[in-house]
Amino acid sequence: MSGPAADPAAGRSPLSLDEARGLLREALAMSPADRTAVVLEARDESLTRFANNEIHQNVSARQQTLTLEAVVGRRRGIATTSRLDSSGLRQLADQAVTLARLSPEDDELPPPATTPVASPLAGFIEATAECTPDERATAVGAVTRAAHARGHNAAGALSTGASVLAVADSQGLFAYHPDTYANFTCTVRTPDSSGWVDRHRRDWRQLEVAAQGDIAIRKAEQSRDPVEIAPGRYTVVLEPAAVAELVAFLAWLGLGAQSEQEGRSFLSGRIGEAITGTDVTIVDDAFDPRSLGRPFDYEGTPRRRLTLIEKGIARAVVHDRRTARKAGVESTGHACMPPAVDGPLPYDLVLATGPHTLDELIAGTERGILVTRFFYNRVVDARRTIVTGMTRDGTFLIEKGRVTRGVRNLRFNESVLEVLARAEAIGREAEPTRFAYSGNGVVVPALRVRDFAFTGVTRF
Amino acid sequence: MQELADRALNAAQLAGASYADARIVESRSQLIEVKNRRPTALQEGSELGFGVRVIVDGAWGFAATAGSDMTDAERCAALACRIARASARFRMHPIVLSPLGAQRATWQTPMTRDPFEVSLADKIDLLVRATGAMQTDASIKVAQGALHFWDDRKLFASTEGSRIEQRIVHSGAGLCAYARGDDDLQWRSYPNSFGGQYEAAGWELVERLDLPGHAEETAATAAALLTAPQCPSGVTTIILDGSQVSLQIHESCGHPTELDRVLGHEANFAGTSFLTTDHLHALQYGSKAVSIVADATSPRGLGTFGFDDEGVPAQKVDLVRDGRFVGYLTSRETAPLLGLASNGTMRAESWAHTPLIRMTNINLEPGDWTLERLIADTDDGVLMATNRSWSIDDRRYNFQFGTEAGWEIKKGRRGRLLKNCTYTGITPQFWNQCDAVCDDWEIWGTPTCGKGQPTQTMRTAQGAASARFRGVHVGVGYGG
Repeated sequence: MSGPAADPAAGRSPLSLDEARGLLREALAMSPADRTAVVLEARDESLTRFANNEIHQNVSARQQTLTLEAVVGRRRGIATTSRLDSSGLRQLADQAVTLARLSPEDDELPPPATTPVASPLAGFIEATAECTPDERATAVGAVTRAAHARGHNAAGALSTGASVLAVADSQGLFAYHPDTYANFTCTVRTPDSSGWVDRHRRDWRQLEVAAQGDIAIRKAEQSRDPVEIAPGRYTVVLEPAAVAELVAFLAWLGLGAQSEQEGRSFLSGRIGEAITGTDVTIVDDAFDPRSLGRPFDYEGTPRRRLTLIEKGIARAVVHDRRTARKAGVESTGHACMPPAVDGPLPYDLVLATGPHTLDELIAGTERGILVTRFFYNRVVDARRTIVTGMTRDGTFLIEKGRVTRGVRNLRFNESVLEVLARAEAIGREAEPTRFAYSGNGVVVPALRVRDFAFTGVTRF
Repeated sequence: MQELADRALNAAQLAGASYADARIVESRSQLIEVKNRRPTALQEGSELGFGVRVIVDGAWGFAATAGSDMTDAERCAALACRIARASARFRMHPIVLSPLGAQRATWQTPMTRDPFEVSLADKIDLLVRATGAMQTDASIKVAQGALHFWDDRKLFASTEGSRIEQRIVHSGAGLCAYARGDDDLQWRSYPNSFGGQYEAAGWELVERLDLPGHAEETAATAAALLTAPQCPSGVTTIILDGSQVSLQIHESCGHPTELDRVLGHEANFAGTSFLTTDHLHALQYGSKAVSIVADATSPRGLGTFGFDDEGVPAQKVDLVRDGRFVGYLTSRETAPLLGLASNGTMRAESWAHTPLIRMTNINLEPGDWTLERLIADTDDGVLMATNRSWSIDDRRYNFQFGTEAGWEIKKGRRGRLLKNCTYTGITPQFWNQCDAVCDDWEIWGTPTCGKGQPTQTMRTAQGAASARFRGVHVGVGYGG
């Protein structure tokens, strides 16, 4: 096997390079299949959760999953286990081979490929991997005490974790990547308002927990005594967290090749066409220093930087080996965990920044609404990229270039592509967000958008 | 397994825990997906691990690990106690659990045929036939079918003397046809969206659903939606089919009655609730036609079990009685704050997760209307079926839903097929606009309910029937 020579996280990651290599070799050796691929994901995750200004849940879990894909002739079977002892690996291999032998021939099975070794990506921060329950408690304690002292109610979570992804196959591939991840999220509530922050980093010290807590407190205080405004079209300044919620939908609605090939993508039949504004460029780039991505995918293929939308024109979708074979191209390194029922997906979308600070976006707004975040966003129309959701935890009126007061939360119905087309100014600072439910991430700046459609209002 | 649990509990007590429980869970799963007659996923999964939950100095700690190594039992117990001590530094109110006697029992999901004993070849053949039968129109680009099975074997033990073994089996099956037209994409599912119907049952569910027998009609409706007129905009009467009522219950009654949300435990993530404690026994949540129970004993429900993950026996409790809001979903920690004992709703996604208050089976009690009679009784409106879009705010107050299909109702008759149907409202107003519930009651599974940090996915259910709502705003989202 070829692959990384040095262990960048020796002794501190959930599985060392040597341990991962040994386990994957043992699993491959147990498989009598014609071809075998194995994916190992191990994760140590700890999370300190607080509500009503006290810690109410505090957890730590070590999880591991080994997935084995066996190919017998043109038949394929996949089995997964959390048991990494020899008998667990034996059962895993037997199960996958049995499934393969029982399955019909797969006429779209990609042929064997020699996969190049991915460039290393420094993603492991020792301080995050070794963060203790006491360190997390002390950090969130500073926020709960500050909120309590001002008569507010703080809730949130500080999570730290280390993970390993290792991929190997019977053709000689071996790829190993350890990384760390940290997130601080906090909601501060008053009787009639709330403020929120959400920060994602590899190094938990860069979360700046106390300072972020202060921002949530300030937003909660600024949005007190909110006024109700009528639904309608308004100029909005969307903070990066609000933009992230919208842009992330593009990944699911059609930037992956499977949905494009099946005709379900908003991009189907539109590659090369102008689909949004000329200021909009979106790439997928795990190596962007702000991204929280990995250097290879679940097939071990190196992640390629890919321009998906360039100056408003649809340029490409991301591929795994199966969709690439069908399209007659090479995989771009975006395979998901087998069996990858949704096909390949972009994991690290980056929206190109502009020249403006957030204050400048606000100052350039005669009358509008500043949105901290959107919540419970769901697709209304997949082809038109229409999404609905609510504002939450810090929605403000902007008058004559200044934030003047809080407004009651509003429901929106908007096409993501049309929102991007109506962006009249783009922020220069981009923030990374990683979505817990999917593991994919985006790096996006703030936007000022004209004629944003709010269709309903709620009473808080 | 019992020895592993005992060792963890002993280690926790030696490390200072005033209470501890251990859950050892061995899980098996199987997923089979076929698209356009071709298998696209054949996967089996197996998992084994355990979690230890402790109270030290009045605060919670939880630690979990994969495997069943005896030395990990002591390591996990010690780590859970260390975490709890860190929590206690920032805990103002020590945790008090509602009383519970020692429970010693075994329980398992009733089923006719173990789904893991049915051959893979038979399962694939079923889906190949069903997806083949959906390929009837050139506009059908993807004809998809899937089967999904889970088998969880759990051992729960606590320092209060409980020892409970459970085997919980869930099955799921369904079809979906995607139709592409000129700049339009429509789809139709059978018997429900989110992959179909899911039940606490075995292979008998799959046999009862008869996927091949419903394939052609499912595909034909998807194709017809491409040329169907748009759902009109305005205020009108709507009749929702049972599966859509099920999700309406889930989002607008199930979640807001979770007492941890009400108490602010989910304020940063899932949100809170408009059903604050001052509304208990006071708020007219819905019309007299609306009575809703949480019933963890309902046959076939995904929220059916013998005991929850705190060892509390399954129960049936009122949430809404004749429209009046009368109850919450509670836990041993939250119930005493209202002077109550837990009604047994704590569940964890897996051994790696601490239990949270989760919906069991949230059931709207059936009425005595037939759907045909209800349509005949409606002069003007829209019949909407099968969820396509769902969004609700963080207090479960302002919602917007969309459905895969709709039919206009004119002068008591079902008329043209409508596409892109949506409706919006405010929860208590909406349920007070409900003037009729039908007798076509079914217990619908929701397999992907998310809550908590780290996020946990839970399989829940709602018993529901078709129902009518007056004066509802429809046709939003498309400029209406």
